[in-house]
Amino acid sequence: MKIIKAIRILMVVISFVLVSCELDGGESLNGASTSSISDDISRGELTQAVSGVLSDMRVGLSTHNDVKSIFGREYYYFTSSDPRYEGDVVVGNLDNNTFYVTTPWGARYATVKNINLILEGLDNTTADFSAAEIAGARGVLNTLKAYELLMLSDNQHDNGIRVDVSDSENLGAFLDRSAALSSIAGLLDSAAGELGSAGDSFAFGLSSGYSGFDTPQTFLQFNRALMARVSAYQGDYTTTLAALNASFFDLAGDLDGGIYHTFSLSGQDIANPLFIALNQTANVRVAHSSFVTDVQDGDTRLEKVVERDEPREATGLVGTHDVALYGSNVDNIPVLRNEELILLYAEANMQTNPGEAVAALDVLRTAAGLPAYTGTTTPAALEDEILYNRRYSLFGEGHRWIDMRRFGRLSDLPNDRSTDNVPSAIPVPANENK
Amino acid sequence: MKMKKTMFRGALILVFLLIPVVAISQGMVQGTITDNNGLPVPGANIVVKGTTNGTTSDFDGIYEISIDGFPSTLVFSSLGYSTREIQVSSASTLDVILEESVMGLDEVVVSGLASSVKRRNLANAVATVSAAELAGVTPPKTLDGALAGKFTGAVVNANSGAPGGGMSIKFRGVTSINGNSQPLYIVDGVYVDNSSISSGGLNAVSQASGGGNPSSQDNATNRIADINPDDIANIEILKGASAAAIYGSRGAAGVVIITTKKGQAGKTKVNLTQGFGFNQVIRLQGQRNWSEALAESEFGEGALYAAALSSGRLRDYEEEIFGEEGLISNTNLSASGGNDKTTFFAGITNNDEDGIVKNTGYKKTSFRLNVEHNFNTNIKLSLNSNYISSVADRGFFNNDNSGTTIGVALTSTRPWDYLLPDANGNYPDHPNNSSNPLQTRDLMTNSERVNRFILGGSLDVNLYSKQNSNLKLVTRAGVDSYNMEAKVIFPKELQFQRPDQGGVNGVSAITNTNNKNANYSAFLVHNYFTDNDLSFNTQVGATNEHFSRNTVSVVASDLIASETNVDQGANQNVNQNRLEQEDMGFFVQETVNYQDKLIGTLGLRGDKSTNNGDINKFFYYPKASIAANLNNFGFWGDGSFMNRLKLRAAYGEAGTFAAFGSLYTVYQSTLVDGNVGIVVPLTQGNPEISPERQKELEIGFDMGILDERLGLELTWYQKRVDDLLLLANTEPSTGFSTKWENAGELENTGVEIALNASIVNKENFSWDATLNWWKNTSEMVRMDIPAYNTGGFGTGLGTFRIEEGKSVTQIVGTNVDGDLVQLGDAEPDFQTSLFNNINYKNFSLSFLWHWKKGGDNVNLTKLLSDFGGTSADYDEISLDPGGTIPNGVYRVNNGIFAGNATPFVEDASYLRLREIGLYYKVPSKHLTDWFGDVISDVKVGFSGNNIINIFDYNSYDPEVSNFGGNGLSTGVEVTPFPSSKRYMMHISVQF
Repeated sequence: MKIIKAIRILMVVISFVLVSCELDGGESLNGASTSSISDDISRGELTQAVSGVLSDMRVGLSTHNDVKSIFGREYYYFTSSDPRYEGDVVVGNLDNNTFYVTTPWGARYATVKNINLILEGLDNTTADFSAAEIAGARGVLNTLKAYELLMLSDNQHDNGIRVDVSDSENLGAFLDRSAALSSIAGLLDSAAGELGSAGDSFAFGLSSGYSGFDTPQTFLQFNRALMARVSAYQGDYTTTLAALNASFFDLAGDLDGGIYHTFSLSGQDIANPLFIALNQTANVRVAHSSFVTDVQDGDTRLEKVVERDEPREATGLVGTHDVALYGSNVDNIPVLRNEELILLYAEANMQTNPGEAVAALDVLRTAAGLPAYTGTTTPAALEDEILYNRRYSLFGEGHRWIDMRRFGRLSDLPNDRSTDNVPSAIPVPANENK
Repeated sequence: MKMKKTMFRGALILVFLLIPVVAISQGMVQGTITDNNGLPVPGANIVVKGTTNGTTSDFDGIYEISIDGFPSTLVFSSLGYSTREIQVSSASTLDVILEESVMGLDEVVVSGLASSVKRRNLANAVATVSAAELAGVTPPKTLDGALAGKFTGAVVNANSGAPGGGMSIKFRGVTSINGNSQPLYIVDGVYVDNSSISSGGLNAVSQASGGGNPSSQDNATNRIADINPDDIANIEILKGASAAAIYGSRGAAGVVIITTKKGQAGKTKVNLTQGFGFNQVIRLQGQRNWSEALAESEFGEGALYAAALSSGRLRDYEEEIFGEEGLISNTNLSASGGNDKTTFFAGITNNDEDGIVKNTGYKKTSFRLNVEHNFNTNIKLSLNSNYISSVADRGFFNNDNSGTTIGVALTSTRPWDYLLPDANGNYPDHPNNSSNPLQTRDLMTNSERVNRFILGGSLDVNLYSKQNSNLKLVTRAGVDSYNMEAKVIFPKELQFQRPDQGGVNGVSAITNTNNKNANYSAFLVHNYFTDNDLSFNTQVGATNEHFSRNTVSVVASDLIASETNVDQGANQNVNQNRLEQEDMGFFVQETVNYQDKLIGTLGLRGDKSTNNGDINKFFYYPKASIAANLNNFGFWGDGSFMNRLKLRAAYGEAGTFAAFGSLYTVYQSTLVDGNVGIVVPLTQGNPEISPERQKELEIGFDMGILDERLGLELTWYQKRVDDLLLLANTEPSTGFSTKWENAGELENTGVEIALNASIVNKENFSWDATLNWWKNTSEMVRMDIPAYNTGGFGTGLGTFRIEEGKSVTQIVGTNVDGDLVQLGDAEPDFQTSLFNNINYKNFSLSFLWHWKKGGDNVNLTKLLSDFGGTSADYDEISLDPGGTIPNGVYRVNNGIFAGNATPFVEDASYLRLREIGLYYKVPSKHLTDWFGDVISDVKVGFSGNNIINIFDYNSYDPEVSNFGGNGLSTGVEVTPFPSSKRYMMHISVQF
């Protein structure tokens, strides 16, 4: 009897709970869901999403640049907290599941993801964007995507990168260096087409690092400058010259003119990750000794390094000069400068028009306080001179390792310890399950 | 029974009246019955052995019994206490201390959300820790730390020695890999928050989680440390799903149920306890054996060494930093009393403790008022309230990537470096590092200030009560609300804050957290007894829990003058993180007890939560258990050596929620050139994610022999956790590094043995001992995603790795041949503890040994010292199998540079004298002589914590965790705050 009564009460209570108490809530409280962009991007969101891309392009930049610069024996990075920079990276024994491999890869693909979400949102948008505005956004985003993919391909080389990653569940195949470069070139060309039909202005703002390149016409010059770099890497110098012509390449212009990453200390912004004050001990970027010894007399580009009060040693490696490219933690870091375009112009003319090549090189030599070039103008000699100038003009900007690799000269790079070695490519991260 | 006894007593009185002169040796015996802590034991039974002559003690523990003939033996007994027999030879005053029962057979243990059961009928191995065990030997640093070694089946690990706590507790192995693995804490029915909330500003300076692991390395306190151990009457521990199924989707990691002290009706007792003592570092690593020649060969600084030597300026900076003896003062004042309607317990505790590092310490004030009121025999209201205010100053330790933490700075500090300030307080720059550790210690601030209210109330109503059935309504409500303000200040004077050193000219950060948990429940409990002693207990009810947290942190840099307000700086970085969750559930349970012979229970909890993908979908957690008291079947007689033998089996399921927000892929905000931007996070959400499900089967037996003087409990368990929440690695080209998945199953199997003995049980001398032994092994039985590494610094330095078919807690790394192999396992081979309590006359001595055998750590402190050239064992040769290379060189050249993680994975076994206490109770007759009736009890004593520590581990303490308490990552060490031992003296006075 009593049991039956108890059971009856039980039924009543359970039905009370089940029927009358529906929960509500269950939201993501701490940020906008990614689908809010990809499903339908609004005008206000577009600027924020593009700013996100510009911001994310800077993430992982120090690891990326340090690894390339150590490989190119431009500088060493010694930090008391992580010995793997003086260990694994200099030894060339890279673990495919450690930060020096995974951080640059992951950061660049995160930016690509940001771009892909916006591109998807532009396809689905119900906002009042004009066709030109959408074309402008696509042109900018695809150009930036090409740049990020180029950074990846520079690192992974023939180990390959994925270019088509818009569907997380169905990632594209790995492309080796040459296939990746063609794909990137294709992306740049289609972005150029989009920029061409983008009207006179963008529907969003860009950072001050893009000042002078913030309209469809001027941004196209950045797109073409990138195309010049890509085609030079492909060895397609005809395209390089054409692209330079449509870019902001200017023999008489400011060598530092170009596109930059910007930094600040305010709010969620980040500081310049490559800045270290002079004469530090715990964390230092010190020039490779050959940068000081190989320099031609009077080359003012040596001022990019400053002699330390005390040398800094790290397990058999010694640095006597601090890298002094950046004067503060809010200095800009270049994406692409006119100085590189002049070097690309010299390179593209090296075989076909040596005089023009020498003229371009002399612009840089003069700027560096060196006399005009007087050596022979054989392609081999000019290659040496171009590589010398690329080394000193673009010091610490992540070029030398790639340059030495594409000219087949990696074995010329010095190894200070018997254990040391310069690898030709960075492995694909383990988690790619390649 | 009661009727009969009264009648009999009446008859006795009659006899006394009639023949008062016949029994010449007749007389009265009287006295007070108290427990170990000097508290009165009301309602104790006093019976003359071999007769039915008996009485009970009153509210103040006072009894009086008349005896027909001397000598006689009096039997003193009370629920939860060991029975004592004392011979009396004449009419006299006899004060009796009843020891709390070693076996605790009559204590009641939680069995459902609104019911309890006597331990002798319990089907689960629920551990209990009494007030005397928790804080009676020596005052614990924190509540959770006081649990170590006191019961089977737990790994209790201190993350660091910093004042204010920071502990991790795991019951019966790892229960979750990326979900919550810390137990649920319930204090008087209130769901109490135990979060560790990192303070903004620390990582901004240390950059510990810059390019590496995302886990918190900031060494935050876990908030259960706020609960005052002095207030606690009893702790029950549900170690796995078989017992914790009643807590449904929050029960899988186990539940710690804390009951605080209640008032006793009767004369108001006031108790004042004062403890004084000090902290001291357990072990220093020591110095490398420096000489001028060594300083010259290592650093080219032989001349500096010689100069420092001749001017007496060589200094042991490890000693300088960690060598303080931090003073401890604990004051506790409590009052308890009331009448038959209303009782109260009020207590105020003030703890003040300095750390072993200057400018670190912990201060806590806790005030409690527990009131119980009986409106009438059918309605009882109880209210428990607790206010806590605490401040912890924790210094700046653990991993960094900037050479700034005190621990990392020490690794580059040589004895001849001169780091002391001048008369004006100007500190020299460290000649060999980016920070001067003395300056950092003296000038930086890292404090957590908490104000917390915990309020719980319950209303019990007897709806009806008949001869063979009754129905009770139990309702409860509870709130845990706190505000925490964490302040982090790095003044601009610090070496690494100066712009010429690349600093940001000062950092000041405020992190403000408001947390509120609220829980409500209502139950109907129905009891029904048949005439043949078959009883049914039915309970049914609903529960509702709300959890809300809001953390806002502001990190300001480039500070104005020496201002620290966060608006007084050039740059501010603001972060906000919120959590809102509501759970709702029901619970039904039926227990059938057949004559205390067979006790069976079936129960079901259903839970839904806003944290699930489908917020109105119920997840069901069943439980079932059976206990058979073979001793009640009459298989053997009363005189048998076997007093008790119970077989028991229990099965239950419980869950663990996915981390809040794991359903969503949420943009993070960023800023570039003054424009706000949105960027994808590292972790991709998964809208399909569901709670983990743990299924535990536990079987065992309990026996008591030789008049219950020897008790044995043996339990075997197997728990499988399915739908494991894994932070699976994704192909990073998706744009994400990780994704939440329910993608695996793990299994823990283990054995727990507890042996209790009453070795000596004489009037003036008693000796009780408890020996615990426990062991757990785990295996990843299924993985639906590829193996992955977690919780470490990569395979070159040793890392945890989740891999099918392997131990869940395995530590892997590359070996000397470059192959990825298992190098260790964090799981201990076994643990054992021995607790002794010896009472001789007025002295009592208690001590607890705890031995953890096996279990490995990843020790990177020595490696960092090797890079600084300062390791104490740098020049010793013990690691190189070839016997030629010094350790410091071996760890660098043959270790990290050779991609060989072997030297960093170390055995973390230890044997500790966890607690020891010696107390003297001043005899009450002296007290009466000295103070009259004012003071009823005085106790003085000495105690200590971690006084003896034996381990081979090559650092401060094998109990350590750079990554805090959650998940697998305990046992990774990077320049921590060293742990300390404590010496205390006490005096306790009762009025």
